[in-house]
Amino acid sequence: MSTVIWDAITAVSEPRVLMIILIAAIYGTFIGAIPGLTATMAVALMVPMTFFLSDVEAVSAIVTTVTCSIFAGDIPATLVRIPGTPSSAAYTADAYALTQQGQHERALRTALVCSTLGGLFGVFVLAVAAPQLARVASQFTSYEYFWLYVLGLTCAAIVSDEARLKGALALLIGILLSCVGLGTDYSVPRLTFGIDELITGINFIPAMIGLFGLSEVLRNVLLMRRDDPPESLTETKAAMEVAESSGDDEPGVVSFTIRRIGSLLRSSTIGATIGMLPGAGADIAAWIAYAVSKRFARRPEQYGKGSIEGLADATGANNAALGSAWIPALVFGIPGDSITAIAIGVLLMKNITPGPTIFDASQQPRQAILVCSIFVTFSLANLLLVPIGLVAIRLGSMLVRIQRRILLPVIVLFSIVGSFAMFGSLFDVWVMLGMGMLGLILEKYRVPLGPVVLGIILGSRVEHMFIQCITKSSSFAAFFSSWLSVSLGVASIALWLGPAVLSLRRKDKSV
Amino acid sequence: MRSCGLSCLLALLLLASVFFGCGQEERYPNRPLTLVCPWAAGGGTDRVSRQLAAYLEAELGVPVNVINATGGRGVTGHSRGLHARPDGYTMVLATVELNMMHWSGLTRLTYQDSTPLMSVNEDAAALIVRTDAPWQSLSDLEADIRSQPQRLTASGTATGGIWHLALAGWLLDAGMRADDVTFVSATGAGPSLRELIGGGLNMVCCSLPEAGTLLKGGQVRALGVMAPNRLEDYPQVKTFAEQGQDFSLGVWRGLMLPKGTPQQITDAMVVAIERVVQGETKVGGKTFPESMQIEGFNSSWRPPDEFRQFLVESDAKFGELLTDEAMRTVNVDRYNPMAFPGVVLLLLVACLLTIIMLHRLGRPNAKLDDSIRHGDVREANVTNLVVFVSAIAAFALFGEVVGFVPLAGAMLLVMFGWLGSRWRVSLLITLFLVPGVYQIFVHVLRVPLPRGLLGW
Repeated sequence: MSTVIWDAITAVSEPRVLMIILIAAIYGTFIGAIPGLTATMAVALMVPMTFFLSDVEAVSAIVTTVTCSIFAGDIPATLVRIPGTPSSAAYTADAYALTQQGQHERALRTALVCSTLGGLFGVFVLAVAAPQLARVASQFTSYEYFWLYVLGLTCAAIVSDEARLKGALALLIGILLSCVGLGTDYSVPRLTFGIDELITGINFIPAMIGLFGLSEVLRNVLLMRRDDPPESLTETKAAMEVAESSGDDEPGVVSFTIRRIGSLLRSSTIGATIGMLPGAGADIAAWIAYAVSKRFARRPEQYGKGSIEGLADATGANNAALGSAWIPALVFGIPGDSITAIAIGVLLMKNITPGPTIFDASQQPRQAILVCSIFVTFSLANLLLVPIGLVAIRLGSMLVRIQRRILLPVIVLFSIVGSFAMFGSLFDVWVMLGMGMLGLILEKYRVPLGPVVLGIILGSRVEHMFIQCITKSSSFAAFFSSWLSVSLGVASIALWLGPAVLSLRRKDKSV
Repeated sequence: MRSCGLSCLLALLLLASVFFGCGQEERYPNRPLTLVCPWAAGGGTDRVSRQLAAYLEAELGVPVNVINATGGRGVTGHSRGLHARPDGYTMVLATVELNMMHWSGLTRLTYQDSTPLMSVNEDAAALIVRTDAPWQSLSDLEADIRSQPQRLTASGTATGGIWHLALAGWLLDAGMRADDVTFVSATGAGPSLRELIGGGLNMVCCSLPEAGTLLKGGQVRALGVMAPNRLEDYPQVKTFAEQGQDFSLGVWRGLMLPKGTPQQITDAMVVAIERVVQGETKVGGKTFPESMQIEGFNSSWRPPDEFRQFLVESDAKFGELLTDEAMRTVNVDRYNPMAFPGVVLLLLVACLLTIIMLHRLGRPNAKLDDSIRHGDVREANVTNLVVFVSAIAAFALFGEVVGFVPLAGAMLLVMFGWLGSRWRVSLLITLFLVPGVYQIFVHVLRVPLPRGLLGW
């Protein structure tokens, strides 16, 4: 084994490979940092280039691009509130609140350090326990998935506990939106109101850009006058007040992380375990990690309003999930998300055949070295992320110093381009606009936006899994047929009922 | 006076050369092509599209960009590709669903709306079971199904999808009922296989390459493949015909242009694709058939005439299957499609009412006062909102006609001006940003942006 690792390190440390890793890192950071462009897109755009690379080079390029673009997605999420991936929607509210308080650089640096550590943890898990974890993942049938999705939705609703009902409302809106279009289980499209384009359903990328990014632009615009003095996002009166009220004696990023290493480990474990489940694993992981983090937090009331703890934990989980998303892809050839799906295609092109023996050096020495070089590149990319990320943060932070009357139209431009680019459809611009208005209204009544996004992603999946379950067996007992489904099911039901019971009791006392 | 006339003439000549001279020189293709893939990134069709795009690019000398227009069981992508301007710059990698969806009433689009270029790949359906399953052959399985109908479960795709059709078609062909095996709807072969090895299903119907890894890993085995002959890559898998069931069905993928594309463009494309599928173009030292084989796709191609003939036959075959009375009963929705949204809507209304009630009942909501700090201190400036919203709407409405650069530029200028930025700064930023974004997206990242009549 050790010789394989050594061979992999030698293979990766060729100057040409290192050069490609560096270029891929910059490329990934660049794409991820453009609002509306995603890691999936970065990888898909990379595929034609991999034809001209050797196997180690191609694998390194893909892995590095993914790692860097996922982190870079946090930059627009923090600065202009346009999240790059659905999993970053879990902490977008916090990150942007920190920006409004003028603490964007600190927020981003914390996110960077936690992403790196979480990412390294994910690689470690991938390298050490992939076959074992894959065995666990293979026990997940539709019952377990159903409960997992329910658990994810539950976590999203309950984290917004200042008004849990509003969280539930947001979630239901998202789930309703996810029903639009032609689903897997029916032969007729639903809720399209005769609009042909809606048969596709609501794409979450334009929806996310609209809900978070555009709605914030519109809110700002709504309060602006032509004769206002020029001011930047962090200079508005409201933001100034908040900045004054928060103390300046916050610890530095490194000491902050060291102090929170325990909770970071916890979130990374959550990320790595749930992230290995194909289909929205990573998205759910970030939400669950965020909810757990809040449960154990010293200042839970800060969550959703600029909690750097919540941000740290959720980004850690997000990036830890990145490594383990490769587990089902490498072991079964069943990709976990669209990124690994594209990566699998490239791996096959380079003669790596996924399968249980992929880690076995005695059977396929060349392949084992390549797989090992995935681990090596992953680690290297995470380390490389620190300097490149710092530069990107520094450059990006200039954005918030731009006057609002210049910045806001530019954000609109990028929102349009971002929603158009993913599927090349102008209809998605309409979706973005509609969602922007919806976001504006919801925010006015202080309904959290994050759960809407998760609802859009998980709503139709929950329904689909439920239908799969009842097609297979009409008895309800089947939903609790294995210890996995029992524990997931009990956990989600308890999360719903627990607080309700508690609050009822509290109300009785207060009355 | 004379010099003025001369310069006028020169200017006219220049103008004329811009309008006509270059027009005559214009050869196809002279700008990037778009290849629409009707299925999601990472799937089989996406992989074939991206391979094909790379080879066509090498062959044609212009970029070929893949766009995933997914959803609606393929309706979205196929109509996007086939309803595009028939100028040869938008093509679609059509799949077998083109011959199915109009029979199920999803769309009016058929193969007749296309100019078929070349089919590039065909994969036959196969029946996959877990390695520890009791059935050793197709007849074992058939006997089991006959003895206890509707006990076994299968999946592979959505209800009414190609693999469902293949399974039901075989059951009908063998004289059983189409719903003797309970079909569980799934989002694709990947999730179905996952469910199969997790023990949630009895069998999966999909193509052999889709299950390739699991087959080689020994977790699953194939009972048979619905092809006329055994596949080169899977010589151990018997065909259905060998096991006494003369039934074959599978998917195909083929390149198409919209109907009404000029003949010389079609010819140019056919020549290019022919060179690609015959392995005369090399990318990264490999030919297209070699790359396809590595990825496990069966590379078989049909030239335009054969492709068209094949489409006619395949369409008739699916028409027979899908309009069959027995098949109709299978294709019908098992559950009411509006049940789930109905429940969600009910909960939503209940939730909303509770919130309003709690609020009305005078439960003090300190959080609401908070929102004043968030904004409502001053009267909201609704005109600003209207200007921004109409700017975005204008883009969505006229993007395809006016093109990205002029429209986005105008939009930016209006928004800058409305918010009271100095016009010199606004102009500078617009002139720098809009072409910059266009260059980066279209030429560096190669993500197409709306192309107006002017071409940018």
